Amino acid sequence: MTDKLRLMIVDDEPIVGKRLKRLLEKEGYRVETFTDGFTAIEELTKKKYDIVITDLKMDHVDGIMILETAKHKNPDVKVIVITGFGKKETSAEAFKKGAFDFIIKPFKFEELLQVIKKAGISLEEGLL
Amino acid sequence: MNFKIWHKMIIGITIPSLIALAGGIFTYEYINDVKHRHGFVEIADDLKGRALEVRRNEKNFLLHKTDPYYKYCQDAISGFNNSVDSISEEIVDQIGKDDFLLLRHSTQAYSGLIYALLRNYQQETDVIERVREEGRKLETFVASGKHARELSINFILDMRRWEKNYMLFRDKASFDKLNLSLSLFNNIIPFCFECARYTEAIHTLFSVYNEIDTKVNDLQIIGTKLEEITNKIASRERQKVSDFFTHTQRLLLMALILLCTLGPLIVYKTATYIVAPIKRLADITRKISEGDITLRAPIREHDETFTLAVSFNKMLDHLQLTQESLEKSMELLREKQEEAEKRASLGFLVSGVAHELNNPLNNISLTAETMKEDIKELSPEQMAEYVQDILAQCERAQQVVENLLDFAGARKSSSKNNLNIVSVVQESINLIANQLKVNNINLRLDFHDSILFIKGNRSKLEEVFINLMVNAVHAMKDSGTLSISIKPDSEINNVFIEIGDTGCGISQKDLKNIFEPFFTTKPVGEGTGLGLSVARSLILEHEGEIDVDSTEGVGTTFIIRLPLIEGSV
Repeated sequence: MTDKLRLMIVDDEPIVGKRLKRLLEKEGYRVETFTDGFTAIEELTKKKYDIVITDLKMDHVDGIMILETAKHKNPDVKVIVITGFGKKETSAEAFKKGAFDFIIKPFKFEELLQVIKKAGISLEEGLL
Repeated sequence: MNFKIWHKMIIGITIPSLIALAGGIFTYEYINDVKHRHGFVEIADDLKGRALEVRRNEKNFLLHKTDPYYKYCQDAISGFNNSVDSISEEIVDQIGKDDFLLLRHSTQAYSGLIYALLRNYQQETDVIERVREEGRKLETFVASGKHARELSINFILDMRRWEKNYMLFRDKASFDKLNLSLSLFNNIIPFCFECARYTEAIHTLFSVYNEIDTKVNDLQIIGTKLEEITNKIASRERQKVSDFFTHTQRLLLMALILLCTLGPLIVYKTATYIVAPIKRLADITRKISEGDITLRAPIREHDETFTLAVSFNKMLDHLQLTQESLEKSMELLREKQEEAEKRASLGFLVSGVAHELNNPLNNISLTAETMKEDIKELSPEQMAEYVQDILAQCERAQQVVENLLDFAGARKSSSKNNLNIVSVVQESINLIANQLKVNNINLRLDFHDSILFIKGNRSKLEEVFINLMVNAVHAMKDSGTLSISIKPDSEINNVFIEIGDTGCGISQKDLKNIFEPFFTTKPVGEGTGLGLSVARSLILEHEGEIDVDSTEGVGTTFIIRLPLIEGSV
C-alpha cells in the first residue's frame, strides 16, 4: 500500500464518526468525520477523498446529495451509503447514482471494513 | 263488498251503459208520445174545418131559406158527426170526453134547430102569402066604400107600404109604424071583418118572424159554440205538443248538465274504486323504495292484487333478510377494515420507529466493538465515556419503545377524557417526526404551547391526526412542507385544527368521494381506502366535523373542528 486511503465519514450521529474514525485509523486509513452535510460538501470541494461513507437520511443535506457532489468532484471516488431505514427504492436510487455499496444500520464494523477493503481494491484496479 | 278488479270494471262499464240505455228508451218513448199528440192536433184541425163547413152552410141556408140549402146544411152536420164518431173512444178520453159530449149535444141541438127553422121558413112563405091576400082584400073592401069613415084608401096604402117595408127590411121603424097603424083598427074591427083578418095575418107574421129570429139566434149561439169548442180542442192540442217540445228541451238540457257533471264524477269514482287497491300497493312500494323496508303490503284485498301483495311481501321478506345479513356483513367488514387500517398505520409508524431504533443500536454496536477491539488501550476515562455512550443510547432506544407502547396501549381504550388537544397534536407530530425526516419534509407549526381542553379519546384522535399526516407525507413524495395549525374560536367554543400539505392535491371529481368508505386513489393493494372514512367517523364520535380543501398541484388542507370544553379558552 503506497499511500494511505483518504476516507470521509458523514453521519449526523456523532458517535458513528467518533468510533469509526478510531477503528479505521487503526486499520491504516486517513479518516475525517462530519456530522453536518453542508460542511462535508464544502470539504469535498476542497480536498480529494478516495472513499466517502455517508448516512442517507440527515437533516437539510442528505446522503444522496453527498454522493452526487462527491461523484461530481471525483468520478473515481467510492461512495458507501449507510442507512437505518432500509428501503429498496432508496438503495436502488443510490446505486443508480453511482454508490459503491449500501450498508444497513445496525452494522458490524467488520462488515463495513470488508466493503471499504473491496472499495480499496476497486480503486487500485481502476489505477492499473 | 269484495269484488275482483274485472268485476269492478264490468260494473263500471255497465252502470253508465244502463244509464245511457234508460235515457235512450225514455227519449224514444217521449218522442213517440209527441208524435201521437201531433195526431191529435190533426184530428182537432179536421173537426175545426168541419165546424167551419157547417157554419158556411148555415149562412147559405139562412140566406136562401130553401130546402136544398137545408140539405147541404144537414150534410155538413152529418159530416161533422161522422168525423166525431170516427174518433176512437181512447183518443176521445185523451183529448177530453166532456168536450166531445158537448160537441155531440150541440150538433144534435143544431140539427134540430135547422129543421125547425126550415119549418118556420115554410110557414113564413104561407103567412106572407096570407098577409098579401088579406091586404089585397082590405084594399078591395076600402075601395068598395062600405067601410067606416076612419078608413081612407091612403091610410091603407100607407099601411101596405109599411107592411112591404117590414117584410123587406124587418127593421124596427117599419115594425113600429105597422103596429101603430094596426092599433087604429082596434076601434073598427068589430065592424070590419077584413080588418080583423088582416090584423090577425100580420100578427101571425110577427110571431113567425119572432120564432125565426129566436131560432136563428139560438142556431148562431150553438154554431159559435161549436166553433169555439173545436178551436179550443185544436189550440189545446197544439199547446200540448208545444208543451211537450218545451218539456223535452228542458229534459235534454237537464240530461246534458247531468251527463256533464255526474258523468265525470261516476267515471272518476269508478276509476278510483277500481284502482284503489293498486294505488294502495303503489303507495306502499313507494314508501318501501324510499327506504322503509320493514313495511308490508296490506293483505285485505280479495281481488287480483291479493296474490300480488302476498308475492310482494314474500319478496320483501327475502329482501329484508338479505339486507340485514348484508348490513351485518358490511359491519363486520368495516370492523375488519378499520382494524386493518389501524394495523397499516401502526405498521407505518413501526417502520419509522425501526429507523429510530437502528441509530442507537448502531451506536451501541459500534461503541461495543471499539471497546472490544481496544479494551487494553483504553484509559479508564475513555472506558467510562464509552459506557456512558452505550447507556445513553440504550435510554434513547428505551424511550422510542416506550412511545410505541404508549401509542399501542392507549389504542385499546375507548373512554373519553379531558384532553389538551395541543398536546395530542404534538404527540402525533412526535410519532410521525421520523417519517418526515426520512421523506425530507419540512414541518411548519402554527400554534402555541397552550392548553385547550376537549373531551375525547387520545388514541383515536392521535390515529386521526397521524392518518392525515401520513396521507400528507404520501401526497408530497419526498419533498414539501407539512403545515399544522391549531386555532381556537372562543365565540363558538370550538377549536380548528388544520393539517396542510404542498402535495399533488385532489381532483374535484375525487374530492366529494374521499370520505366515502373504500374510496382510494392509491393503486390496488396499497390502500384500503378506509383511512379518511374512519377519520371522519372518529371525528363525528367527538361531535366534530372534518372538511377538506384542495387544489390540484398546489396541495391539500384538512380542517377538523372539535368542540372545546366550556370555558377552556
